[in-house]
Amino acid sequence: MSSSTADVAQHATPPTTPGPTPARRGALRRPPSWRRAQHRRPWLLLSPGLLLLAVLLGFPLVRVVQLSFQDYGLRELARGEDNYVGLENYREILTSSFLWQTVLPNTVGFAVVCVVLTMLVGTAVAVFLNTLPRTWRTLCLTAVMIAWAVPAVTGTYVYVWLFDPLNGLVSTVLTDVGLIDRGAVNWFAERFSFYAIATLNVVQHGFPFVAVTVLSGLMTVPRELYEAAQIDGASAWRRFRSLTVPILKPVFAVCTILSTIWDFKVFTQIYLMPGGNGGNPDVYNLGVWSYIESFAQGRYGMGSAIAVLLTVILLLITVVYMRTLFSEEEL
Amino acid sequence: MTGPAALPAVPATRTARRAAGRGLRSDETGGRRESRASTVAKVVGSIALVAFAVFPAYWMLTTALDADAATRGSRLVPTSLTGENFARVFTDGDFGRFILNSVVVATATVAISAVVSLLAAVAVARFRFRFRTAILVMILIVQMVPLEALVIPLFLQARTLQMLNSLLGLVIVYLAFSLPFAIWTLRGFVAAVPQEIEEAAYMDGASWGRMFRSVLLPLVAPGLVATSIFAFITAWNEFIFALTFMQDSELYTVSVGLRTFFGQNTNDWGAIMAASSIITVPVVVFFVLIQRRMTSGLASGAVKG
Amino acid sequence: MKRPITGVAAVSALALTLAACSSGGGGTDEETPGGDGADYAGETLTVWVMEGTNPDSDAFFDEVGAAFEEKTGATLDVQMQPWASAHDKFITSIAGGTVPDVAEVGTTWTPEFAEVGALVDLTDRIAEAGLDGDLVGGLQEAGTYDGGLYGMPWYAGVRAMIYNTEIFEAAGITEPPTSWDDLLAAVEAIKTSQPDVIPFPVSGDSQYGLYPWVWGAGGELAEQDGDTWASTIASPEAVEGIEFYTDLALEHGSSTAAATTWNEANALEAFQQGDVGMIVSGSWTPAKIEQDNPELFAKLGAFPFPGKDGDVAGSFLGGSHLGIFEESDNQDLAWEFVQMMSTGEFAQKWAEQSGYFSGQASLVEAQSEAADPLQQAFATQMLEGGRSLPVTPAFGKVQGAKTVETMLQSILSGSASAQEAAETAAASMDETFASAAG
Repeated sequence: MSSSTADVAQHATPPTTPGPTPARRGALRRPPSWRRAQHRRPWLLLSPGLLLLAVLLGFPLVRVVQLSFQDYGLRELARGEDNYVGLENYREILTSSFLWQTVLPNTVGFAVVCVVLTMLVGTAVAVFLNTLPRTWRTLCLTAVMIAWAVPAVTGTYVYVWLFDPLNGLVSTVLTDVGLIDRGAVNWFAERFSFYAIATLNVVQHGFPFVAVTVLSGLMTVPRELYEAAQIDGASAWRRFRSLTVPILKPVFAVCTILSTIWDFKVFTQIYLMPGGNGGNPDVYNLGVWSYIESFAQGRYGMGSAIAVLLTVILLLITVVYMRTLFSEEEL
Repeated sequence: MTGPAALPAVPATRTARRAAGRGLRSDETGGRRESRASTVAKVVGSIALVAFAVFPAYWMLTTALDADAATRGSRLVPTSLTGENFARVFTDGDFGRFILNSVVVATATVAISAVVSLLAAVAVARFRFRFRTAILVMILIVQMVPLEALVIPLFLQARTLQMLNSLLGLVIVYLAFSLPFAIWTLRGFVAAVPQEIEEAAYMDGASWGRMFRSVLLPLVAPGLVATSIFAFITAWNEFIFALTFMQDSELYTVSVGLRTFFGQNTNDWGAIMAASSIITVPVVVFFVLIQRRMTSGLASGAVKG
Repeated sequence: MKRPITGVAAVSALALTLAACSSGGGGTDEETPGGDGADYAGETLTVWVMEGTNPDSDAFFDEVGAAFEEKTGATLDVQMQPWASAHDKFITSIAGGTVPDVAEVGTTWTPEFAEVGALVDLTDRIAEAGLDGDLVGGLQEAGTYDGGLYGMPWYAGVRAMIYNTEIFEAAGITEPPTSWDDLLAAVEAIKTSQPDVIPFPVSGDSQYGLYPWVWGAGGELAEQDGDTWASTIASPEAVEGIEFYTDLALEHGSSTAAATTWNEANALEAFQQGDVGMIVSGSWTPAKIEQDNPELFAKLGAFPFPGKDGDVAGSFLGGSHLGIFEESDNQDLAWEFVQMMSTGEFAQKWAEQSGYFSGQASLVEAQSEAADPLQQAFATQMLEGGRSLPVTPAFGKVQGAKTVETMLQSILSGSASAQEAAETAAASMDETFASAAG
């Protein structure tokens, strides 16, 4: 999924995020009919958007919870009947060793590693870019943008091609230096190496968001501060620790939380790798498991329960996100 | 995937001063060695960064152009260039149709999303009414809802409404991806337009609708461009819904259509990479387009800080 | 708002255009009388066919389309589907009501789709057309669910062993192995005469490579007990077969460590490079080798899977049915198409071009008489040892869960003994059977 395309556009927003500009002043001078319209108009303007969001997000949210309490398969679908089984789906999921030994470790482990790496690489790149002269910075920034722009689908296929066991770049190089026999190692077959490739893919696609965001934060820090610190004799590392980190703490927090959300629900990058679309259960994460249960096995109730589990985890992270955000900005 | 609402404005100065006041009186020496070594480090670092960032895109494009793509192995530069892989994408595969489908879906998403989100943005930015804050919070929360987790109910809903195997069904779903972000972003742009300009239009006897078209719309146009590009890219890239909703291969979008080049035992990497390049190039162009806007935004931010 | 915002009008116009672009499930709702000579002019029959079976399927279906249009007046819309994603696609379109009129359905899937009411029971139509006496047994058995036949047998394939005659000759093997002892002797002979050659790789990611040894030892995968099934993969006979197959790798050095994760395609790839003595291979594979590597094709031999004591061991008889979907509005027209494809000229042509066997017993016999020795080995395998997997929708789920591959890989990697791994697999299968029944 285009995890972070949004954030490019976001930087086009005006740097100020002002509060509402209430029309109170004008309204007082206007005739009563205008005031009535004033009451109705916002709702009129909002109604198409709210309606769409209700149909596309509100109703499905209710429905997915409903389905998660049902044994809902192709038969129920054909007859249009409900088939409530209470908490059975949740019981099955939560007591299965598959969740605890495979899916959850895959999901959480992968997300944690990806977030840590994305933040490290992104921050390092941002700090580095900040030291570059203008022309060099623009050049590097364009390259970073390209990494960001490559769609998840095509990016994943490139990695599948790079690691193709027979003719891929990596396999060929390792064969040439005598480390492996051509075609003898299939990295997609084994869980650990599968996720190593997925991590590389996701980090390579995700670090630009962090780099660009942190860089924009870094550029708001007055240069004089660094110069003063330098005169005081602080080393580069010390300047980073004592100046950059505290100033950019909110930026780091937001980047971390957003990356966490994205990396938890990664679907495309896993599903499109060999074995990720059902061939190899060892590599499922929550999103893929939910999709396979429903659309490959026809167990929509079960799939919904897994989706609810994923949503709940993400909502918890969102709560943290909202808290961070609200402490920084008034609506 | 929806994007984040907005980054918190960094309260730079205050925090920074506090940090500066804290124990920076280190007595470490050797700060001022702006030497040749550091220049070399910057050059090497830049090259490494560019290589890391661009390599997959490079490999994609060069494989697409390689006359001997399947057995390319570790050749960094293709031995001979060819357009044959690209030609095969259109002759053997039905890729022209997939592109057309994607363009139709993305354009429709952009158009509807622009109208609906602009109206909503005006409502929350220009009017003060009951539940306004609640709606703003909701729009923010809604961006965090993982749409991937809603593919099951949306699929069943689309089935009931006969919207499967329909480009319109896909457009409607993509609105859910782009609307919250568009409303939130445009809200900032609308709010940034000074109230006085609107007042002046009313003074001249303009109706609200007239003011909207002649005054507000041109001023928020840059915001519309940004959100539209986002909506376009989202619709163009989206995979999971397109995969689930479109069973008729004549209605595939590009990201799903790409899968048709995978054979059972052998993969035609030349064609896959050629098709991938065709999908990727417009997105990269759009990104570079808004990068210019972005850097200017960064610059103004720096001045302000 | 005095003036309408023109954008809204534009958007709704766009929406209308989009709605017009969308297409529903089948053709029109118009009722048409069945029978020959009926005029279906203006109608379109949508058909899904699996990709890769016939190397030149475009030309084949152009021809079929022309003949079909001539006969019925209807247009044929054939959409090729890759095997890898086909099962999921079927499930999704059955759920969404977006199925085609007719589809090629893998034999193991037919009962699964029949169970959920997606496929039309063809028993009466097949009997009416007088086709019921001439169907290939294994395919008929696989397509039967609850007493009805839900898939018209179209084509079949079977796996047997292929070998490199050059390597066999260099090892002094004159006759292909016909028993387990023969096979072990052949492995030893190859190993001693040509140390660089992998005599017979044991591919860990291929369930169909294992079954012939289980069956060859007299074992079964599962047995039906009333309404439910019980796994028998941990029975002494089955374990003996599993042990023999995996011991080739673990005890007799017949394989290579890399093969632990190989599937058939990987094994074939290695075989094509000329350093492998023999592999498990589908009857459709020699045609591919002939195309890719004519030199190797000239050195190709084949023999049926040897049973433990010298008879032909069972081998999974795979293939495809043609199924008609319940949601199709044009079931009579669909049946016209199914008959055209599965009998007579086109059935024969399809079999010849694809290297498979026809679903009609009489055509298979004709094929095996005319064929070269290579095809004869496969025909013998099919007619004497063609077996089906447990015919229950639940077994499709066992396959989906890759239970057998997991078992095989855990033995080959040394993390479990054959007995232990078989018991784990049996427990997992039983769990699947139980949840499917309940």
